[in-house]
Amino acid sequence: MSGRSPTGYDIATGTYEQARAMVGQTTPVRFGEEAVNGAMARQFAALVHDASAGYWDPEFAEGWWGGTVAPPAMLMTWLMPLEWRPGGAVPVPLLTARVPLPGDTFVNASNETEYFLPVCEGDRLNVVEELVDVSPEKRTALGTGHFVTTKSTVRRQDGAVVAVMTNVLFRFSAGATP
Amino acid sequence: MIAGVDYRQRHFEDVAEGEALVGAGDEITYRRVIMNPGATLDYFPGHHDPEYARSQGQPTIFVNTMHVMGFVDRLVAEWGGPRTFLVRRRVTLRASVYAGDTMVGSGRVLATRHEERDGRRRHLVDLEVTVDNQRGERCATGAVTVALPGRGDGEGTRPWWPPGG
Repeated sequence: MSGRSPTGYDIATGTYEQARAMVGQTTPVRFGEEAVNGAMARQFAALVHDASAGYWDPEFAEGWWGGTVAPPAMLMTWLMPLEWRPGGAVPVPLLTARVPLPGDTFVNASNETEYFLPVCEGDRLNVVEELVDVSPEKRTALGTGHFVTTKSTVRRQDGAVVAVMTNVLFRFSAGATP
Repeated sequence: MIAGVDYRQRHFEDVAEGEALVGAGDEITYRRVIMNPGATLDYFPGHHDPEYARSQGQPTIFVNTMHVMGFVDRLVAEWGGPRTFLVRRRVTLRASVYAGDTMVGSGRVLATRHEERDGRRRHLVDLEVTVDNQRGERCATGAVTVALPGRGDGEGTRPWWPPGG
C-alpha cells in the first residue's frame, strides 16, 4: 500500500515484517537528470559559504581536478528526481521511501560516504541503492519507529565507482511515543 | 587568481597530530534554510515548511544532511586547501540545526599515515569534527579522512584512485 503522505513524497506504508522481507533488495540503476555542472556546484558552495578554488576558478579546477569539481556533500543532488514533468509523470521515490513501514515521516540519523574519484563538470552519474537493514522498533525523543539503512553505489558514465554511501534514516510517526 | 577565492594549500608535511581545526560560526537564517532545498533538490517539507516541521515535533525548519556535511567539508577545506581530496566522511546527526541557529564547527587531527597501492602512495590525515549550535549543544559529530598533497609528489600525482585493488 502506498499514498501521498504529508511529506509530499509517495511513501510506502506497511509492517516491520514486510520491511524486513525487502532487506537485501537492490533497485534498478537510476540515472541523474542532469550532467554535473558548475552552476549547480556553485549554488551549493554559496549555500555553505565554501570559497575553495575548485568551485570558483575554472582554470585552477581544470589543472588539479580535470574540470570544475562538485562539492562532495552534494553527491545525491545529482541523482534527485525532478519534481514535475510534462504530462505529470510521478518521480520514482528514493528507496528509503519505498520501504513499507508504519511511520509517515522520517529524519536522517547518520551518513558515511567513501569517495574514490572526484566528480567533475560533464560527468553523468547513476546510482544503485540497496536496502541493508531495518531495525526493530525503537523509541526516540521524536517518536517511535525504525532505523532504515541503505547503501548507494554511485557510478560515472564510464562505469567507474565514484562513491559508496551508507545512510541511516529514522522512519517514524510524529508524537507516537507511547 | 580570483579575489576572495581560497588557494592556500596545506601539505602533508605541515600537519601535526593533535592540531586543531577552528571554524568560523555560520548563522543559519531562514533564508539560508530555504536556499538549502533549492541547492540540493531535497524538498522534504521539514526543510521549508515551518508548520510541517512543528507537526513533526520540531520547533521550526531545519537544514538537511547535505548542508551539515557541506559545512563539515568547508571546515576541512579551509584547513586543508583546495587540492584536498575527501576520502571518507562519517557524520552522526544528534540534533537538528534550525533556522535562527548558528553552526560552529571544530576539529582535530587524530592521525597521519600513508596508503600504498600498485607502486603509488598517498598521504592521509584522519580528523574528528564536531558541529555545535550557539547554545553549545552538539548537533553532529564526524570522522573524516582526507588525502593531502605531499611536498615530494611528482607533478602529475593526484591523491585519488579507483576502488578495489
